[in-house]
Amino acid sequence: MYEPKIIAFLCTWCSYTGADSAGIARLKSPANIRAIRVPCSGRVSPEIIMRTFDQGADGVLVLGCHIGECHYDTGNHRTAKRLPIVQALMEFAGLDPQRLRLDWVSASEGERFANITNEFVDGVRALGPVRWRVTSNQLRAACERVLPSIEPVEYTASDCAGKTEAIRARVKELLSSREADCAIGYEVSPRGRTRPTFVYRPEDVERLVWNPDCTHNLTTYLREKLHPEKGKETPKKVAVVVKPCDSRAINVLVAENAFEREQVYAIGVVCDGIADGKGSLQTRCATCAERIPFVYDTLIGDPSTHDTKPSSPVAPGIAQLSESTSAERMEFWLSQFDRCIRCYACRQACPMCDCPTCLYERDDSTWVGMGIGLNEKRTFHLGRAYHLAGRCIGCNECERVCPMNIPIGYLNQKLVQEIENTFAFRAGLTPVVSPIVTVLAGEYKEG
Amino acid sequence: MNIITQPQLVSWLDSIAKERPLIAPRNVAGVLLYRPVENSSEIAWGPTRPLMSVKDVLFPPTERLLTIEKVGLEVKLTDTFPEGNVVVFGVRPCDARGMQVLDALFIDTEPVDPYYARRRGNTTLIGMACREMGPSCFCTSMGGAPDDTSGADIFLTELPGGFVLQVLTEKGEALLSELSLAGFYGELPKPSYNRPLNLVERDAWPTHFNDEYWESMAERCLSCRICAYVCPTCRCFAVRDEALLAPGQFERIRCWDSCAGENYRRIAGGHKPRAEKGERLRNRFMCKFYYYSEQYGLDKTVACTGCGRCVDACPVSVDITEVLAEFGR
Repeated sequence: MYEPKIIAFLCTWCSYTGADSAGIARLKSPANIRAIRVPCSGRVSPEIIMRTFDQGADGVLVLGCHIGECHYDTGNHRTAKRLPIVQALMEFAGLDPQRLRLDWVSASEGERFANITNEFVDGVRALGPVRWRVTSNQLRAACERVLPSIEPVEYTASDCAGKTEAIRARVKELLSSREADCAIGYEVSPRGRTRPTFVYRPEDVERLVWNPDCTHNLTTYLREKLHPEKGKETPKKVAVVVKPCDSRAINVLVAENAFEREQVYAIGVVCDGIADGKGSLQTRCATCAERIPFVYDTLIGDPSTHDTKPSSPVAPGIAQLSESTSAERMEFWLSQFDRCIRCYACRQACPMCDCPTCLYERDDSTWVGMGIGLNEKRTFHLGRAYHLAGRCIGCNECERVCPMNIPIGYLNQKLVQEIENTFAFRAGLTPVVSPIVTVLAGEYKEG
Repeated sequence: MNIITQPQLVSWLDSIAKERPLIAPRNVAGVLLYRPVENSSEIAWGPTRPLMSVKDVLFPPTERLLTIEKVGLEVKLTDTFPEGNVVVFGVRPCDARGMQVLDALFIDTEPVDPYYARRRGNTTLIGMACREMGPSCFCTSMGGAPDDTSGADIFLTELPGGFVLQVLTEKGEALLSELSLAGFYGELPKPSYNRPLNLVERDAWPTHFNDEYWESMAERCLSCRICAYVCPTCRCFAVRDEALLAPGQFERIRCWDSCAGENYRRIAGGHKPRAEKGERLRNRFMCKFYYYSEQYGLDKTVACTGCGRCVDACPVSVDITEVLAEFGR
């Protein structure tokens, strides 16, 4: 008979002792459990869970102290906030949700430990062996499913010439008065392509433009402009042209202390959406209702003609994927990740991906192999999606820059939905850090 | 030179695909890639060049070099060489030229890379002339041409209703053996060329090493690796031993690397010789137009085939032709 391999992460203060209690009471608990003692269930990071599945576990059980009984006060609060997100993500990527479970067992609850483990092992046994780790690269056209695209929305730009003039005038003032040392905006390349540009002298402002192709999220350059290599001067203030979605990145980065709000001069542009090059709005813009930046020092364009509100984070493909079976979702994502070449463009273009060295690129990393294989690619993408949970501002640059057309945005959007449903929180509307990585007000015990 | 009609070509490709892996441009979820096809109906025939070059057939993104097995106190190493013949159809002239650039390092210079050399020996390339140069193509400035046959084993030029077929090597001859075709005695159609770029002499590149231009042109670079990975001639790789799931089993893999990445050439102790992106991007262009040909005795040949892939794939429009224009003025 098939016996699943189950890894159980047990908090040393409660659940591990709870397992002991079960033993002392001679309660029967399944032999499939390989217990790993951890100082706190909060120690069990998503990377550990994904790695465990990568290494062939059929199920992962995380057991911690009951809420309010954590030895470290709020360690298990982190688990309680984090695990449902990881569950949602892995389920979306095609893992059967029954294979990952979080529960609470205190030191005296031997019976509860036995019940939970028996129930979990029975559930996983019924599912059969896990199909998480991919052993063959034989994915073919059969699983190259195409998701429904939303109806194209005709693009109409309003007053690009006026906005261009206003941006130039503003930047000229900032640079002349030395209020800002550098301005990041858009220019048109000799080949006619709109791209990011950096202006340092007032006489160079004529390069700056505003047009329907200003798609890049320029806030991604802020971290390196404001934290230059050793030996270079840090600019006092950097001006940056932002659309509403981009502006949310400033809020998140300020909240996370990536830089001070005073170091950035945000030139907000009233946004009509960005064109896709074929006369329609880009998909991300077609569902977006944000018109006025959420943070700006000066506003370009006429806000009175626009009604701004946070847009719906629901993308049509997500609903369709969520309705399919786990196996179908797994197939879908593997066929997408199959194309990935691990060029890291998604990460590099992302203003939120600001680790000095990416966890998935460290050459001593034991979280992910160096190869450009399916398992590694999935680990990278799911790991990155989790790291953006509660931080992703939905600019969708990751998806735009992907040379392989991988709908990475779906992963992020899915977690945006989860965070919104669980915490009623959306990243970057105000300078507040993601609730899943912080201790919320009132979480600490009085005194 | 022979004439092969479209139906003849299709049935010939189908018969090849039955015998051995046939790799051809295929539309994979909206992206044109060289991928294995089961029959000719899967082939994307259009004039567009695939996003990735044919490099990933001969020098795959990740490749196992050997397996390592620990048995008691012994360590057993087993080479894992690629096996089997492969036919690649629809190879663009720029890609075929790119293979020749890779040959200079992997085959023509000691030590010969046995993995690449085997794949190269086992692979037959059926080239295809481009009808015209694309807007970002500049192969004619790099010594190639949209109808350049070099590097291919068999070369096709499109005519109304069929193709002119030229057999260029013995490998090509062997692949064609059973096919009898009508001769072709006319003139091959001549594709139009884009305006050539002004180029700087190879030996002038080092004089631009300390130019401030590098830093400013690299400012918008995201330090991703698209340009290197789509390039038919970029060939940097990293090697690492990784544990397999079974105890005592390991593998040595190599996978692509790129000088655009922040950790490129990071050495023990953490020193990065090219910490700034200007230095890394400078390395990319100096490598293409100076270091590589200098190092491998390529004389006038540069390590760029002018395919324009990096121009089109760069998410922030860093443009190699602008760099050439800057120094070629």
